[in-house]
Parts: sequence; structure tokens; C-alpha cells
Amino acid sequence: MPIDSIIPAVDPMPLPAPFWLFKLLLIFTFILHIIAMNFMLGGGIVAFFTRLFSKSENHKRLFEDTSRKIPSLLAATITLGVAPLLFVQVLYGQFFYTSSILMAWPWFLVIVLLTLGYYGFYTISLKGRPTSGWVIWIMLVSLILIMTIGFFYSNNFTLMQAPERWAAKYQADPSGWNLNWEEHTLIPRFLHFLVGAIAVGSFLIVLSGLFRWKKEQPYAKFLITYGGKWFMYTTMVQFVVGVWFLISLPQSKMMLYLGQNMLATVCLLVGIMGALGAIFVMSGAVRNEDPRRGAITAMGLTTLVLVAMAIMRDILRSSYLAPYFKAENLVVKTQWGVLFLFLLLLIIGLVVWLVMIKKYFFTPGARMPE
Amino acid sequence: MNYPIWDVSFGAGLLIAIVAITHVFVSHFAVGGGLFLVLTEKRAYRQNDQPLLGWLMRHTKFFVLVTVVFGAVSGVGIWFTIGLIHPSGTSSLIHSYVWGWAIEWVFFFVEITAALLYLYGWKKLNRQTHLWLGWIYFMAAFLSMVIINGIITFMLTSGKWPQTFGFWQGFFNPTYFPSLFLRFAFSLALAGIYALVTGSLQKDQELKGRIVKWSARWIVPAFVLLPVFALWYIGNLPAGVWESAQGKMPTASRYANLILVFSAVTFVLSLLTLFKPKKIPLIFALLIFGSAFVTMWSFEFIREAIRKPYLINNYLYVNSIFKEPVPGSAGMSLAEINLQGVLKTAKWVKNREVTEDNRLEAGREIFRVECRSCHTIDGYRSMRRIIQKRNWPYSTLVARLGALDKMFNGVMPPFAGTEAEKEALAHFVVSLAPGHVVGTATSSGEAVFDQYCSTCHQKEPDDPMFVKFRMLEQVRIYYLISKLDSLNPEIPPFEGTDQERQALSVWILDEFK
Repeated sequence: MPIDSIIPAVDPMPLPAPFWLFKLLLIFTFILHIIAMNFMLGGGIVAFFTRLFSKSENHKRLFEDTSRKIPSLLAATITLGVAPLLFVQVLYGQFFYTSSILMAWPWFLVIVLLTLGYYGFYTISLKGRPTSGWVIWIMLVSLILIMTIGFFYSNNFTLMQAPERWAAKYQADPSGWNLNWEEHTLIPRFLHFLVGAIAVGSFLIVLSGLFRWKKEQPYAKFLITYGGKWFMYTTMVQFVVGVWFLISLPQSKMMLYLGQNMLATVCLLVGIMGALGAIFVMSGAVRNEDPRRGAITAMGLTTLVLVAMAIMRDILRSSYLAPYFKAENLVVKTQWGVLFLFLLLLIIGLVVWLVMIKKYFFTPGARMPE
Repeated sequence: MNYPIWDVSFGAGLLIAIVAITHVFVSHFAVGGGLFLVLTEKRAYRQNDQPLLGWLMRHTKFFVLVTVVFGAVSGVGIWFTIGLIHPSGTSSLIHSYVWGWAIEWVFFFVEITAALLYLYGWKKLNRQTHLWLGWIYFMAAFLSMVIINGIITFMLTSGKWPQTFGFWQGFFNPTYFPSLFLRFAFSLALAGIYALVTGSLQKDQELKGRIVKWSARWIVPAFVLLPVFALWYIGNLPAGVWESAQGKMPTASRYANLILVFSAVTFVLSLLTLFKPKKIPLIFALLIFGSAFVTMWSFEFIREAIRKPYLINNYLYVNSIFKEPVPGSAGMSLAEINLQGVLKTAKWVKNREVTEDNRLEAGREIFRVECRSCHTIDGYRSMRRIIQKRNWPYSTLVARLGALDKMFNGVMPPFAGTEAEKEALAHFVVSLAPGHVVGTATSSGEAVFDQYCSTCHQKEPDDPMFVKFRMLEQVRIYYLISKLDSLNPEIPPFEGTDQERQALSVWILDEFK
């Protein structure tokens, strides 16, 4: 089966809005999803190791505080993940569906693993003050399930941009048990996401410290410095993994980031400089009596790095698919009425959401009388 | 056609059914249950019923664990599953209704946040704020249903959409409102049914009695209204579609019977709870729960069954072939495939034409491309079992493939492809159960009818076959049965024995003259 003849035809329905809008929404919602995922998975991993090697009450308390947040963060990860999954199907459906079908069982298993992991996290969270040792093992199993999902995602999103491998895989196994092991970037890419998740997830601990600063400063300071150190060390590891990922790319793709594509190169520079800057600032902050300002600056810089990374990821995908397809050439017929309705409801939804959060967390008058 | 086919040996359709129906049984609870939570909370405040509030807090935890975890994940799971099994259909739904899905996502986002804050807020927030969150949750959940209902009903009754491709023309389609009322009523019933389950676990008998009576007040009226909305729904289906559930199509008809039985059982059992509400054991509540589940399972199966042969009514067949050529359909419409051939059109096949040497292998590929969305070899809707049961020889099969859309009230898409491809498919299907035996060794005319005629004809006086035959003499009928294919090329030749032909001709007159 020649490559060109097996790549599915584009859906007959035109794009219901301009290409750039979908691309913007795809990248923006992906960033939101990845932040929630990082907090959930990275925060969970930090909490797990903290509990495993706990030396003090603060360590145990950190585990309890963090593990209680994981189910809600997983809810946020799923909810925020639906949107980029929707938009990637709009722009790249013919590639995404095909690679999903080739690895259909692992892809389907995502749902099963997610359900099991979710209930695992809830079991820990709803236990109240977890005293028994088994809690940590449930945490470990749930985290492994979530990491497996991440690994399947890495497989699918690399396989969707490698149509040259599709036919052989389908002929070898049409029952959907394929993975993308031949992909050189698979492992470094997965590790890049995983290590990044731990680094960004450390900010969940830092943030808890920031919110507690006024109430109980010593514990808050412990959280900020402890989370800050996790961030620094994992970001240092990320430099090694990131370089591995970069050099595992085919030469032509690697060169995109080394001068061939200006935006990609700038993004890589922003990523490197931002991460270095964040480590530098954080290393100062954890030695300070008041680490808050440094920690917030490091978070700001990391957000910038995340945005740069998301753009780099998108450039890489477009480059892989360029010989076969350019989404920007899709026919457009904008559904203006429904698009405006969506934007209106999005604003209303955001306002309602913010009011809910404000009432719940920041309005003393909404609290139950003592 | 456009995508590789995921080879699920036990049946891809069954996998969708399992994921989708377990999801809707929870997602409807998520809507009705939201209203139940706020109204029960208000009731408890009004009556200053602290035990009821205590139960409601525990019930909220159950509600969140069921709806936010299983409900949300299985909802995403439907997308994963249909994308794997019906990628073309999923792509159509995404491309036509992406802003509908995006709007639904906004509601989903608000809904999940509100549900979690409502749960955690029980011990933190004052009554007013807590109730406000409950209302926000319910409204977001209901609005989710308002959106999804439009797209699900569009798949069954697409209205003017296939001509205009207009968002709202498909969205507000003929079954939109009946379906919305039907689903909302069922969601209210489910709110009561799930509450019965947690309520029946209460040790305080007074409390249990109050919960059971309150739950029944949700179930019973909803079940009184459901038949009204169901009739409204049926009335808005295109003419002839509902006949599939009235005997013309086995799956739809079987579930139409089941839904009658199990909705009645659910209703009666729910009424019975009122006699001794303080004594209702968990097993009784679970019985009602199970019965409601079969009711919903049946409803969804009927809806899916009567939607066939389409995935999207009047636009896309269930095997991802477009009914009519549309700009961009890439030659994958029925007429174009009939002209070009399915092997030349399909993307994921090895054999591009049928030859003497590859006939069986080409037939297998055609089966995979055109039939696998519903049939398996040995699993769900097993082709091997069908051929063994029907005992169809090659010649009959070729004729039947030419008139697939006439069988079982048109539940199957027409065969798409050339004559040679049709024959290759027939070769492959026959090879699944070699050793055709001539005749059924029966002398019952009715059994002969069931064997040879019932896939297209009904045992009804107004069926065209009986309308024609009952005017004739038995000898003439006996003669014509041997010439069926000359009466109409879509009718396969009669393959039975002379004895069977005789029995059939006598039975036709006995039964319908």
C-alpha cells in the first residue's frame, strides 16, 4: 500500500472557522491541559517520593495535603484535555484517527486505566488522614496507570505523524495491538513530558505554600523551598532529556530549532533561557527568608517556557505532516452564528466559573457560620 | 473505506454499545440527580430534617464518584471508541458540530467544577451558597444534555441538513424536542432510582422510609410521562422507520418488546416501594436499578437499530459510504463506488481488483471494508452463524447481496461495488460455512417461509408477496415460486426442494386467502 493512497481523504465538511482560530485554540487549550496534567501527575509523583522517604511530620503532611488535591486535578486534566482532543480532530483528523486505529487497544485502554487510576486517587483522597502504609502503594499504582496513559499518548501522537509506518503495522496486526516502538524519539519524548511534569508539578507544592503563607509561615516556607528544590533538580535533569530528545529527531527536524525555522529557534532559546533563569531565580529564592517573590518569578518564567514548548511541538507536527498535508489549506466556511454563541457562552461560563471559585475559596461571607 | 478497519473479533458495535450505554445510564443520572440534590437539600432545610441532610451528604459523595469519575471518563470513552470504530462518522460529527461540542465543553467544565465544589462545600459553605452551587451544577448539566441531544437526534433524523448542511437545521431536527423531554424525564426517574439504592442502605428506618417515598415521587411521575414522550418521539420518526421495531427488524423488535416489559417492571416495582418504604432492602433497590438499566439499554439499542442503514441519516451509511456524492467525498459515495469498484476506492486494501486467484482474499477485504462495522466472522452478528442458519448457497447469496437494502426493512446499506466484487464477497461469505445442504427437510410451509422469505417479507396480509399470491391458485403459486428470479431480479431463486415449494404454496393460501 503506497503512502499517498492510504492517507485518508480530508473530511468533506469545510472548517467551520478560520484555520488560525482552531490552531490558536488547539495550542492554548493544550497548554491548559498540560499544566493541569503536570500538577496532577508531577504533584502526585513528588508526593509519593516525599511519603516514601518521609523524614518529618512536614513530609507526611505534604503527602496528605497533596494527595487530597489529585482527584480534582485529574478532573481538570480530563476536562481541559477534551478541548485540544476536539481541535486536533478538526485539523488533523485523518492522521489522528488512523494512528489511533493502528494502536486501537492501547488507545481504548486509556479509558480503562484512567478510570482505575481515578478511583485509586479518590480512595486515597477520601480516606481522610491516611495512616496505613497501603495508601502509598495505591498512589504508586495509580501513578503508574497515569504514566502508562502518557506513554500511549506519546505513541499515538508520534505515530499520527509517521504515515510511512502505517501500512506495515496494519498488515502485521489489524487487531490494533501496535505501538510505535520504531520511533527514535518515542522514549526521550515521553521522558521529556514526564520529567517536565515533575518539574511543573513541583509548583503545586510551591503554590500550596504561597496560599498558606499568612496562616502558617513555617510550613508554608517548607512547602515553597521543598517544591522549589524539586523544580530545580528535575529541570536540570530535563536539560539532559531535552538534549536527548532534540538529537533523536531526524536531522531535518532538528535543524528547524537550530536556525532553519526562526520561530522554532526563538522558542527553543526562550525554553532554554527561561528554564535556566527559573532555576537561577529559584535557587536564590529557596535560600531566602521570604522565598515568595523568587518562586512566583520562577513560575512566571516556566509558564513562558511551557508556551514556547507547546509552539515548538506544533511546529514539529506541522513539519512531519508537511509532505502529505497542510491544514492551513483546508477549505473554510465559517459558522459565524454558532461561533459567536460559543464565544459568548465561553465568556459567561468563565465568569460563572470564576464566581464559583471566588465564593468557595475567597469569600468569608459564603462560609458556614462557626 | 477511508480508514483502516479495527478488527475486533467479538464485534466493534458491541464495544460501542457497552461503553455508550453504561455512560448514558450515568450521564442521565448526572442531570436528573443534580436537580434531585438541590431539591432534596431545600426540602431538608425546610423540614429541618438533619438525618436527611446527613444522608444527602453521603449521597453527594456517591453521586460525584459515579458521575464525575465514571460518567466523565466514559463520556470521553465514547469519543475514543467511536473514533476507532466509525472514524468517518466521528469526523463528520466533529466537523459539522465542532462549535456545538465546544459549547458543550464549556458546560462540562462548569458542571464538573460545580459538582466538586458542591461536594466539598457541604462542610464549608453556608446554605445559600451551597444551594447556589447546586443550581449552577444542575443548569450546566441540563444544558449539556440540551446540546448533546441535538447532535444525537441529528444522527437519527437529520431533517434538512443533508441538503443545506446548516448547523441549526440539523440540530433542531424532527426528534429534537421529543427526545429532550424523553431523556430529561428518564433522568428524573434515574435520580430517584439511584437514591433508592443509597437510601435502602440506611439503618435508620424512619429515614429510609422518608428517602424511599421521596425517591418514588421522582420515579413514578416520570414513568407516567415517559410513554407520552415516547409516542411523541415515535410520531416524529420518518414513515416506515418505526416499522423496524414492529417486527420488520429482529434487533429493534426484540428491544421494543424488552423496553415495554422492563419499563413496566421498573414502574410497578417502584410503586411497590410505597407499601413498605421502611423495609426496602438493598436487593429490591438493585432490582429496580437493573430493570431501569435494561430499559435504557433497550432504548439506546432501538435508536441505534432504527437509525440503520445510516450512521448519519440520509448522509453517511453505517459502513462509512456516503449516500450521495458530496463535494470532497473522494469517490466514496454509493454511485461512485458502483462505478469504480470498492477495491479501487477503499484506501486500506491490498487487492485492487478481483482475479481468479485472489477471489477469496479480495472477498475477505470487501467484507472487512463493507460489512465489518456491524458483522463479525464468529462474534457479534456472526456471518458464519447467519450462513449456517440460513443455509444459503452461493447463487442465493449473490442475489441477496444485490438487494441488501430490501432485507429487514432496509436495515443494511446497499452493496457498493462491481458485479465481480459482489461475487467475490459472496465467495468469501459462503466459504465461512461450506457444505450447503439442499432443503431443510421440513414439511411446514411456515418454516419454509421463515427459512427463505422472512428476511424481506413479513407474515402480514398487506405484505406485497401475499397480496400477489393470495389471488392465485395453489398450482400457480407452486409454479411461480420456481421462477422467482424472473419475476424480480432482486429476488433470489428459490433454492428449496419440491416438497418445500409445495408446502410453502399451500401454507400461503391457508394463511392469507
